[in-house]
Amino acid sequence: MLFLRSLLLVLIFHLSACTDLLDDINPSDSDRRGDFDATTIGYHPGETAADFASFDTLNETVVMSAELVGSNAIVLYFTMWCPVCDSHMTHMRKNTIPNYPDVKFYFVDYVSGMISVARAAQLSNGYGSSNVLVDDINHTITNLYNATMGTTIVIDNTSIVQMNEDYKDGRKLQEVLDALP
Amino acid sequence: MSSLKTPTCDRSQALIALLMGGTFFFSTPTWAASCCGGGGAATLVLPKFFSSMYDISIGYEQYHGFWNKEGEHINDPPGSDLNQLRITPGYALRINPNWQASFILPYVWNDNQYAGLNSKTNGLGDATLGFWYENFDDIKCVYAVNSLEDLTPAAYFGASLTIPTGVSPYDDVKNSFDITGRGFYRLDANMLMDKTVFPWGLTLNLSYGIYLERDVNQEYGSFVEPYKRQLGNRFSGSIAFSYSTTLEKLDTLTYTFTYANLKEDEASINGATDTTSGFETQSVSFALAYSTMAKDWIVRMSFNHLPTNDGLGSNFPATDTFTVGVSYVIP
Repeated sequence: MLFLRSLLLVLIFHLSACTDLLDDINPSDSDRRGDFDATTIGYHPGETAADFASFDTLNETVVMSAELVGSNAIVLYFTMWCPVCDSHMTHMRKNTIPNYPDVKFYFVDYVSGMISVARAAQLSNGYGSSNVLVDDINHTITNLYNATMGTTIVIDNTSIVQMNEDYKDGRKLQEVLDALP
Repeated sequence: MSSLKTPTCDRSQALIALLMGGTFFFSTPTWAASCCGGGGAATLVLPKFFSSMYDISIGYEQYHGFWNKEGEHINDPPGSDLNQLRITPGYALRINPNWQASFILPYVWNDNQYAGLNSKTNGLGDATLGFWYENFDDIKCVYAVNSLEDLTPAAYFGASLTIPTGVSPYDDVKNSFDITGRGFYRLDANMLMDKTVFPWGLTLNLSYGIYLERDVNQEYGSFVEPYKRQLGNRFSGSIAFSYSTTLEKLDTLTYTFTYANLKEDEASINGATDTTSGFETQSVSFALAYSTMAKDWIVRMSFNHLPTNDGLGSNFPATDTFTVGVSYVIP
């Protein structure tokens, strides 16, 4: 009993200090997404995506609004060249990209900060033929879209954010691309 | 002829039992780093006939690339230096002559440096509550094998529950660098068998775990369409060879070499298999443990290595881990 009491006290102490823990200890299934519409510029699905300019690893300037001209949508996937990222990117290259020729796909390197370093990571990971954008050292794109490792963003050709969440198994991305206007 | 059972042999089995608790720490690579979720650990093993034990270990894990899904080893990006430090306090208590319980709660520091990004974060890892049943009533360490009975191992059967006290992607966190846990409850069935013919020891450790399905309604602090996620079943096994020497003042040194394998099946999302998940890895480790004659203090250190050859892992980071630990055992 002494052991259990001690255990309980330790748990209560930690839980009271870290309220975020309760999200995992008692997960919720409630849908708490807000209502967002195109009148607002933001990163939530339904909002108008903020325009941005960046460099790719070939030192070419990429402007989001320009890339959307003549395309159905652009897809941004945020990578830190980790096992999970590689698994997602491999899956995307094999199962999604070939099926949507009118969509432009970009992997966004948000950890390298320099074109030369991002290019080296791209090549050593076997993504030499992919489009890789380099987020700057201030993480402008990452912050603009509240992104992190594995974040997958779909922006349609009217600049509306259609998806902004983890890649997971890729099904949601395909559903969103299939439902594009 | 019955086997001799002296304090030295008795101490050897006690020490090896402790090391086997350590073996989980040493040779089961933790799914770690800010990219993947942090410091889970394992269960403590309280030596036979002792009433309780305090334990603390400090582990420093360095990352050396990863294996992709196809088993090809990939180096980390140029300019990166990825490390994790874990301090893991634990406590074990004897419930009755054959049952014991334990609890451990790691604290994790992530220290990641990329060419264009530095990140230092810390937080609780996932806790583990464990129970062991000891299927033996006396010391099974022998000096010589004179009968079949002398080959009877010390067998432990147990269960453990991993509690998601760490910070996971499904918490209200900003980004992946804050992650220190996986976010799922896991139930493990564990078995540990040890046979010591002093000074040699052989130990087999098997564990099979099932994650509980959970609801997810947010990722990295952003609410998403709710879905159900379950990680794949997990198998880990290790085999350890040990050798003990008795020092001048009857203190004991034990050297242990361990090979371990860890495999986790693919996860599911709303019941459908997530083919981007699942992993497998292998590791080797070497441990050195020192025990006082009274067996009240045990100090151990270990080095765990995941060989980076192609084909020796899948969808998993390659790491080296240095660990030091101290146990205080109460009769």
